[in-house]
Amino acid sequence: MENEIEVKELTKFYGSLIAVDKVSFEVKSKEIFGLLGPNGAGKTTTIRMICGMLRPTGGRAVIAGFDVSQKPQEVKRRIGLVPDISNLFGELSARVNLEFMGKLYGLDRKTRRERIDQVLELFQLKDRQNDLVKYYSKGMHRRLTIAAALLHQPEILIMDEPTSGLDAQTARLVREIILDLNKEGRTVLITTHQIDEADKLTQRVGIIDHGRLIALDTPEQLKNSTEGMHALEIKIFDEVDQQRWIPIILKAEGVETVFLAEGKIRVLSKDLAQIIPTVVSLVDKHGGKIENILVLQPTLEDAFINLTGKSIREEPVSKEEYLKSRLPRTRMR
Amino acid sequence: MKPLTSFMNSVWIAENDLRQSFKSVRHVVWSLLFPIFMMFTFSFRYGAVGPETDFIQFLIPGIVGMTAMFGSTNETMSIVWDKSMGVFDRILAAPVSSTSIIVGKTMAGAVMGILNAFVLLIIGRVLYGVAFVNIGLVLLIVVLASFSFTGIGTIISGLASEPREAMMLSNLLRFPMMFLGGVFFSVDEMPQPLPYVARALPLTYATEGLRAIQTWSIPIVLMDATVLLAYTIVTMLVGSKILMRLMTR
Repeated sequence: MENEIEVKELTKFYGSLIAVDKVSFEVKSKEIFGLLGPNGAGKTTTIRMICGMLRPTGGRAVIAGFDVSQKPQEVKRRIGLVPDISNLFGELSARVNLEFMGKLYGLDRKTRRERIDQVLELFQLKDRQNDLVKYYSKGMHRRLTIAAALLHQPEILIMDEPTSGLDAQTARLVREIILDLNKEGRTVLITTHQIDEADKLTQRVGIIDHGRLIALDTPEQLKNSTEGMHALEIKIFDEVDQQRWIPIILKAEGVETVFLAEGKIRVLSKDLAQIIPTVVSLVDKHGGKIENILVLQPTLEDAFINLTGKSIREEPVSKEEYLKSRLPRTRMR
Repeated sequence: MKPLTSFMNSVWIAENDLRQSFKSVRHVVWSLLFPIFMMFTFSFRYGAVGPETDFIQFLIPGIVGMTAMFGSTNETMSIVWDKSMGVFDRILAAPVSSTSIIVGKTMAGAVMGILNAFVLLIIGRVLYGVAFVNIGLVLLIVVLASFSFTGIGTIISGLASEPREAMMLSNLLRFPMMFLGGVFFSVDEMPQPLPYVARALPLTYATEGLRAIQTWSIPIVLMDATVLLAYTIVTMLVGSKILMRLMTR
């Protein structure tokens, strides 16, 4: 099969609030596809509709040849879902949790035992298999959540923010596991708000913001959307705040985008020769002193900001966006 | 989906629910402690006044019905907990039909009600020597009562947005029902218009039915069983409608 997942104009309204707006994409067989976007962009809502846990307002999703709204059970049987929050039964041990999942996926007793041993081994949880899950660390929770999604050996893995909130070491382990699972021939759809994760893991990535898919390509091609551009990294002597320089530098002619990244001002521009003197004189005119300027190749993050007009590190601030990000879970009516 | 698979899925869901309830000793003890405490209190206070044995004979069936009510409704709180912890999503993501989920949750609630009621039945037998005339009929009433209480609990759990709200709503219903449902005082002794209120509560029929078994008034037992069955059907239908809406948003 060419495409394991086909999403066509998938739309979800919550009342008059639009959470997902005509999102269309395909995930090819055996690829790692990423949905990249800030929190509240509509990633989780999209995933929930694909997995048959939420009824779309419009559009459709076909998974492994089955339309999810017509054959939800067939779809659910074929996918392994790792939700954004590690939702295991805290009052039960890891093994009992896995037993339960195995039963729901119709595995017989012998297969269950074998597979549970297998995944516990793989995720290094064997020693703690009989401990109650509520005593697990966040990393262990995450590993067990992924383990639970693998028990029925699904062809398609759907992972919502698989490494979010994990320490660097565990996040790396999880990424290695994802790559291994893909090498074994599984199709993987992940969502992430981390640009470097999308860059490292995915073969193709869709950028989603305000419920809309605004770009879809390979990470390399997306970086090319900043083709001909250079990134300037400017550090200005300023003990108060670098933020105040952004509107000032934005006034300079030839500047495409200005934003703050890790305490440094980052400028995207096509015309290096013109921009450097202009910026220098502007900063000088406003009483600032430049500590250093670096000329760099644009990264995926630069491309993202150039496309969406905002940094992915920003949290959703408006009440509407906050509600939208909360809606799928808290209000279940 | 095959009916057997569907049914087994319900069994797994019920088993998983009950496993969590029995895992925590506190949960089991607390849910039993309350009816035991009520039984002692009322037997001490009122047992001494009238002819003792009579009141105990009157009280124990009521306590058994009340215990079924608390056991079942407590268990259905798992629905709202599952929702708030996100574990409900785990079941939703699995190839399990909505009906299986509803049936599973209902089975768990009913089993809990039945088990708790029988513990109190045994305590009543051992401590006060109250023997039930026909255990089959007792089972009939307790099972039907537990199912109708589970239906009510499901409705509350489905409507509540978070556990605290569910607890408040269910207590708002359970405590008045406990006093108006004929557990401690006979419905006939209540001033007007309370008997009418009592007649609207399933607990009234559970306690009346259980007492009628003791006096071997079979027509009353059957009538109460019929009412409880009707209650079960109605609350189940409404409850599953609410849950269904929850699951297929």
